[in-house]
Amino acid sequence: MLAALAALLLSLPDVALAQVAARDTAGAYGYFPGIGSRAAVWIVAQLHLMFAAFVLGVPIFAMVAEAIGMAGGDKRYDRLAKEFTRLLLVAYSATAIWGALLVFTLSSLYPRFWGYLTQVFSVSMWIYAALFFVESFTLYLYYYGWDIWKEGAAKLWHLGLGVLLNVVGTAVMFIADGWLTYMMTPPASVRPETAPGTVGVWTAIANATWMPINIHRTIANVVFGGSIVAAYAAYRFMAARNEEERQHYDWMGYVGNFIAISALIVLPFAGYWLGREIYAYNEQLGITMMGGFMSWLWIVQAILIGVLFLAANYYLWVGMARIPGAERFRPYTKWMLIILVGGVIVWATPHTMIATREELVAMGGSHHPFLGVFGVMSAKNTAVNLMILTTFLSFLVYRRANSRPVVSWAKTATWVQGAIFATAAAIVVFYGVYGYFVPAIVRIGFSVYQVLAVLATIVSVTVLDIFLVRGAESRGAIRWGEMPERSQYALFILAVTFTWLMGLMGFARSGIRQHWHVFEVMRDTSPWAATPALGYAAQIISVCVLIFLGLVGFVFWLTSLVEKPVPAALGVAPVARVEPRFAPGSTGE
Amino acid sequence: MRGTNLKIALIVLLTVGFYTLVANVIPQVESEVPRELTLGPGVTPEELVAAGEGVYHGPGGCEVCHGLGTRAPRLLTAEGALGLIGARCGLRVGGQDCKAYLYESLVKPQAYLVAGYEPIMPDMSRQLSPAQIWAVVAFLQAQGGEVTVTTDDLGGALAPGAAAGGAPAAGAAAPLSATMDPIEIMRGLGCFACHVFRGEGGPIGPELMKIGAARNVEYLRESILKPDATIAAGFERFAGLMPKDFGQKMTAAQLDTLVHFLANQR
Repeated sequence: MLAALAALLLSLPDVALAQVAARDTAGAYGYFPGIGSRAAVWIVAQLHLMFAAFVLGVPIFAMVAEAIGMAGGDKRYDRLAKEFTRLLLVAYSATAIWGALLVFTLSSLYPRFWGYLTQVFSVSMWIYAALFFVESFTLYLYYYGWDIWKEGAAKLWHLGLGVLLNVVGTAVMFIADGWLTYMMTPPASVRPETAPGTVGVWTAIANATWMPINIHRTIANVVFGGSIVAAYAAYRFMAARNEEERQHYDWMGYVGNFIAISALIVLPFAGYWLGREIYAYNEQLGITMMGGFMSWLWIVQAILIGVLFLAANYYLWVGMARIPGAERFRPYTKWMLIILVGGVIVWATPHTMIATREELVAMGGSHHPFLGVFGVMSAKNTAVNLMILTTFLSFLVYRRANSRPVVSWAKTATWVQGAIFATAAAIVVFYGVYGYFVPAIVRIGFSVYQVLAVLATIVSVTVLDIFLVRGAESRGAIRWGEMPERSQYALFILAVTFTWLMGLMGFARSGIRQHWHVFEVMRDTSPWAATPALGYAAQIISVCVLIFLGLVGFVFWLTSLVEKPVPAALGVAPVARVEPRFAPGSTGE
Repeated sequence: MRGTNLKIALIVLLTVGFYTLVANVIPQVESEVPRELTLGPGVTPEELVAAGEGVYHGPGGCEVCHGLGTRAPRLLTAEGALGLIGARCGLRVGGQDCKAYLYESLVKPQAYLVAGYEPIMPDMSRQLSPAQIWAVVAFLQAQGGEVTVTTDDLGGALAPGAAAGGAPAAGAAAPLSATMDPIEIMRGLGCFACHVFRGEGGPIGPELMKIGAARNVEYLRESILKPDATIAAGFERFAGLMPKDFGQKMTAAQLDTLVHFLANQR
């Protein structure tokens, strides 16, 4: 059915998009029936990337959960980690299958381009394959050794396997990142006439955007893994057969969401870095991305991230109903909601957009007389930084809800935390307003100050809070399992939105090359060289998301066939303790 | 359980559908492939300037930075007392005339940096052909100055038998190679520019994938030699676009091969 849907969605636009291109293509391109070669490679590559993100993000999640379980002696984390490592076994196969399909489609549909890439990167491709072997077998050891190496030094060895799994997995990703970033930002020394075999493989890999993409993807994988974990927990929560299961999966959903949103908060900073490197590499490339034909993409992105922020905060606020003591923070949620909604509106305000003559006349100029003020980067950066601060505040409030600090300096520390928040917000707003009065080149630098203010707040307030709630008294036990069903829908929306966002940003990264396979080095002369409009891209992304989620659902179902029921001992007993505490050393009991 | 699954499926579909809808209701902008520029030996300064204007506003993407006055100097409007770019280009660097300065600015943009601006201009020779670069130089010279770009400057960028603006010169139909491969013949004639065939081509003319099911050999032969004799239904607005000189570009054997090949596409 999905294949039929894909064909239906893609066949008509593909015909409309077929372009007149320079015809030096004899033997350079193959033909894929129905949807065309570009859409075929696009879908396969996107699905491979989604599975790859899943199998890279979840091991980080599992390793951290296992370490927390070891440090705190809490068996729930260990069970959580193992449950997700089991999912990885099947997911790895799916990743490898889509990866093989990608190689086949590239080599048969884009043979000349694929030949070029193999000449540049052949050495790294062999290393990649070798590391993939190491990664796979490390995973098998990690999973199948779970119940064998579970005590004392053996457990430490087992955790070491988890670390190794992540190190090798990250190395695999870094190598592949070298290939794709080379396509976007090849070294300046590489020209169209440069023989690919003469390009040094390290020179090609260590290009301008390689490390920013590496960092951005690593963080994004954690976000993605966390959100899929949370969605899985939501499903199991809704399908729970007893109270123990409801408690366990309610807790798991919280942990997954916590990790996803924690990583999401720092993701924009990695994005800024990537954006700056793209501008530094080639100003025109950056302008194509932000102010050219892709400018509307960022409005769609703003809407998606707005949904993420709203859904994540909503989940936390609803969850506070099961935490004794949280009611004292309830009056503040409406103000946080106002900031978030206002932020989304500003962030999604268009500015320098392509408009028809009639629209220009109606606006009285190239920008809207009132909304145009909010469409510039000064306003948008301010909005997003305030949204990040607000979301962090939501987490902080959630964390503090059922604790009563006992340290003598508690009141002072709380005031200091408030002052840090206020200072950060003031810095963000100040540079946001000041940005209207300086040239663009100066204004771009202001985003760094705003980001640093927010980052410094997150770090300093968190550190302070860890010490503040150490040994705190409990205001009552968290009533795990007492969550309304609507809160679980928020977790599904988060997972779908993260997945869709991944597809959208993949289109942005790949699309800014426009009609180049390798930017300014190797032209795309295929009938699909023109970069499609966002509507068509959205249809491809949606097809990919539906196929991916369908397959992930199948993986979940497969693993559930051999699952044992949740032992009552590992359920979340409603004991009187300050929960949840994710950071080690902050149990607050 | 089934109810839970249905609810989840609905949530997923609604979310995906919402994002797809949003992305489809905003203005749809494609990034098109720049057209090649072919200049013939007889190209006039006016033709060069016109071609350069097309590159400036099109594949060159020059106005993105030079039209704002914040990222790069304004070129088509006056930059202070120095006037338009064509008037001031010869005054920037001592001993360097306008043409040399503009050419250097395009291919070695960091060689001379106008005070007050960042070194952000890319080397345009990586994106534009020599013909396009010289056309832009001519266009910029024409903004308040005299066009001094000549065919000597264009040198190897000139295509024999071609005229300005990318259109092949009249009567300069290049003979096709002796291939008898119908696909190669169609490629050589540029059929896929307008006809969709096996995933290639544009939707300007009828698709050729199953053309044999609806058209016989005689009809196809006439359509190739006299394309305006019968206009296919639904393509009336493109009438007149198909070249009428294919009969002079193919041998009789090639034409016969092509016609029978198409007639067999059912």
